[in-house]
Amino acid sequence: MSETYELEVNGVSYPISAAMDRSLLSILRTEVGLTGTKEGCDDCECGACMVLIDDQPVNSCSYLAAQAQGRRVTTIEGILDGENQLHPLQRNLLDEGGVQCGFCTPGMIMSAQALLARNTSPTQEEIRIGLSGNLCRCTGYQRILAAVEKTATEA
Amino acid sequence: MTTTETPRFVRADGPDKVTGSGRYAADLTLTGMLTAKFLYAGVSHARITKLDVTAAKKVPGVLAVLNQADVPLVRFGSVADRTLFAHEVIRFEGEVVAAVAAIDAATAQKALDAIVFEYEELPVVNDIEAAAQPDSLLVHENWEDYAADDDVSRQGNIASFTSIARGDVETTLATADHVISSRYVADASHAVPIEPRGVVAQWEGDKLTVWSSTQVPFQARDGVCETLELPTNKVRIVVPHLGGGFGGKCGFHYEAHIAALARATRRPVRLVFSREEEFLAPDRRREGMIVEITSGLRHDGVIVARKARILLDNGAYSSDASFFPHMAVMHALGPYKIDHVYGEASSIYTNHQPSGSVRAPTAPQACWALESHTDELAKAVGMDPVAFRQLNTVDTGATGVTGQIYEEIGLQECIREAVAASAYHEDLGDDEAVGVAVGWWPSFPDASGAYIKVDSDGKGVIITGAQECGTGAVMTLPYLAAAELGMAPEDFEIVYQDTSAAPYDTGATGSQTLLNNGRATVEAAREIALQLKKLAAEELEASPEDIVLADGMASVVGSPDSSISIVDLAGIAADGEMLLGRGSGSPPESPTTPKTVSCVGDQGMNAWAGPQFSCHAVRIRLDRETGVVRVLEVNTAHDSGVIVNRVGASGQVEGGVLMGIGQALTERTVYGDDAKQKNAGLLEYKLQTMADAPPITIHFAEVYTPDMGPNGSKPIAEAPNVATAAAISNAIAKLVGRPVRLLPMTAERVWETLQDERA
Repeated sequence: MSETYELEVNGVSYPISAAMDRSLLSILRTEVGLTGTKEGCDDCECGACMVLIDDQPVNSCSYLAAQAQGRRVTTIEGILDGENQLHPLQRNLLDEGGVQCGFCTPGMIMSAQALLARNTSPTQEEIRIGLSGNLCRCTGYQRILAAVEKTATEA
Repeated sequence: MTTTETPRFVRADGPDKVTGSGRYAADLTLTGMLTAKFLYAGVSHARITKLDVTAAKKVPGVLAVLNQADVPLVRFGSVADRTLFAHEVIRFEGEVVAAVAAIDAATAQKALDAIVFEYEELPVVNDIEAAAQPDSLLVHENWEDYAADDDVSRQGNIASFTSIARGDVETTLATADHVISSRYVADASHAVPIEPRGVVAQWEGDKLTVWSSTQVPFQARDGVCETLELPTNKVRIVVPHLGGGFGGKCGFHYEAHIAALARATRRPVRLVFSREEEFLAPDRRREGMIVEITSGLRHDGVIVARKARILLDNGAYSSDASFFPHMAVMHALGPYKIDHVYGEASSIYTNHQPSGSVRAPTAPQACWALESHTDELAKAVGMDPVAFRQLNTVDTGATGVTGQIYEEIGLQECIREAVAASAYHEDLGDDEAVGVAVGWWPSFPDASGAYIKVDSDGKGVIITGAQECGTGAVMTLPYLAAAELGMAPEDFEIVYQDTSAAPYDTGATGSQTLLNNGRATVEAAREIALQLKKLAAEELEASPEDIVLADGMASVVGSPDSSISIVDLAGIAADGEMLLGRGSGSPPESPTTPKTVSCVGDQGMNAWAGPQFSCHAVRIRLDRETGVVRVLEVNTAHDSGVIVNRVGASGQVEGGVLMGIGQALTERTVYGDDAKQKNAGLLEYKLQTMADAPPITIHFAEVYTPDMGPNGSKPIAEAPNVATAAAISNAIAKLVGRPVRLLPMTAERVWETLQDERA
């Protein structure tokens, strides 16, 4: 049974008409049309679907879209700055070589953004713990860690 | 670009990937697109007694339900033992019985539920040692009738076999001062790319386009053409961004199923795998293995003879695994100077998911067994394990196990540097230790092609068969082209991963992109360099041989004032003979060793082209109460020749090391008595996280390697995955007192070994 509700994604309000049991990930990818948020496991294990809800990192595969009514949803498409320039996390991931296949990258950036929002100068260990919900199979995490550290230092 | 700067490597696909605008296969939609779902066998060994799809076809919103009766009966694989859909007999749980295309996923599921699928269960072949016995139940009856290369020897459940023999092993072992035998058993594991695979197929008239998350688009095309009986020029495979592969997305997988659904429905069809399907269905898995090694030593520590016997779990079908026995034997004999060797390996059919290429297939397990055995040897003669390896491993000019004599190689530098960077010689107390292991891996010269065009504004496009799966083709190919032409990497875009646009390439497999497509790209750029020099010579009234291309200019050598920009030359060329280059080049020849020196089974290579060497030193901490091992630091050294792209190469080492840590400690596929996987999910199959990831140091032993990759390079992507688990094993054995003989060395297994040692 479809229901109609509004969802605010990256500062834009979208009318949604969909079954109430649909995940936020599914609604973002198919109804809103933003595919930057990835599905790696649909089981909260990989972090590829990480988005921010009111600045908190959430695995969107396991969060009902309808629950996000009245909240601010931010996806990877929403973190470019006002002039459409790369966010420092995006730029530093590229500069440090922290991107290979790129499939984990959007979720990794969202988790890092949430981490840096609540802790502006994290230790290496805090970064490791903060991003431990995001699996990357390509990089060995070394250069992702370096990019997040560099971003924190620059801020 | 000025030639004195450090080369810049620009990840051309980077902005697309970090902003989320990049499309992967699952992100593609086409108007009218249907959703595909598969009915899997769900049973490991059975004879199909009934398959009735009548009711499924009547479900509203279902447009097609296909099974083997709807496609040509073509067997395929390195031994032609497979069909697209299950045919008469089920041989593993992930076999596709039927495929549905429907308006949405829920409707497709209703159709699957309506399929009548009945079978008579057969006993399962679940154990490779039992399956190797002559009286074992056969996974494939009468499989001698299947087509295969002439050199595949077949017998019972032995899907392929290789041996290597040199010298007189038995006599030498009989007279050795010490003879040590070891047995090691490795579980199966998985590639686990974070992107589950996706396939989209669309027909336009008699032409088919498939967008697929494959590492090997040309193999995928050939698989579609073979199984659906189509000519190659009617089938176009396009790979959107590929979310990792690690071998798991090699080979031909589900492109033909989805193409057949799209043809039947006359609509585009998309398949996207769940994580569970990603574990259960593909014919790509790192094989379980039993390794038995015996070595004979002199009192002074010199290894005089070695024999090895290996059984590999081939799984139900042969995908690309026929050459695995050779790779396993080479890794069990190792990069050592031993004159008397005998090794044999058999890949055994079972009712498990098929094995296939996963990053350095067979190497991590076989290297783990050999290098753990090597520390046992050093202990037996009371030698330091590093000194023992320095005494026995190959160096420049040495003769290896197959009789191959090595040209300049950097293994000794690797051992020296990895150990020097580590805490190997420090007192680390009772609960920490450093283990050391060496590894090797061949290079795979092969055909490859590229085109380059430079347009009127001096901007270029490289049209290449290369496949980017995160490994860096998008960085390195523009760099190589730019370096030949005195231009900047940013002057080039690349068109890639499209079988109709580009010449053939074997794909992102065998670490081969820089080696082979790098060569092709350089050759294509050289054709354009010749054109530019000829044009410049006419403009500058000089001889083409005297023109140099640098910093965006064509100049007369010795007269820098006499020059013209490449942009201007491109403008001139655009109105006449255009700047078009094509390149392929001859693949480097593989070395050979006379059959009189060693006898290598026909599925093997008696000498390896461009062998890469490595040494890893790993520091661990052991919790003796729980058996939990934590990796504290990994110090690596690699001879992959001259490093062209340091950022890219380091990324390969770091990623390979972490995969190796996972294989060492946590990654394990568990089979039930029914031969089905028990842990097909990321909660139960544990990958390493950033919290687990230790610091990694890298030393590149940059030995210039002639006649191999561009600029004296060798490949790098698989080699870092070889020696990590072995080094961790040796660190554990130091602390426990004996090696853990099962891989992965889970906390439970380490703890049990500790109890055995105390008993």
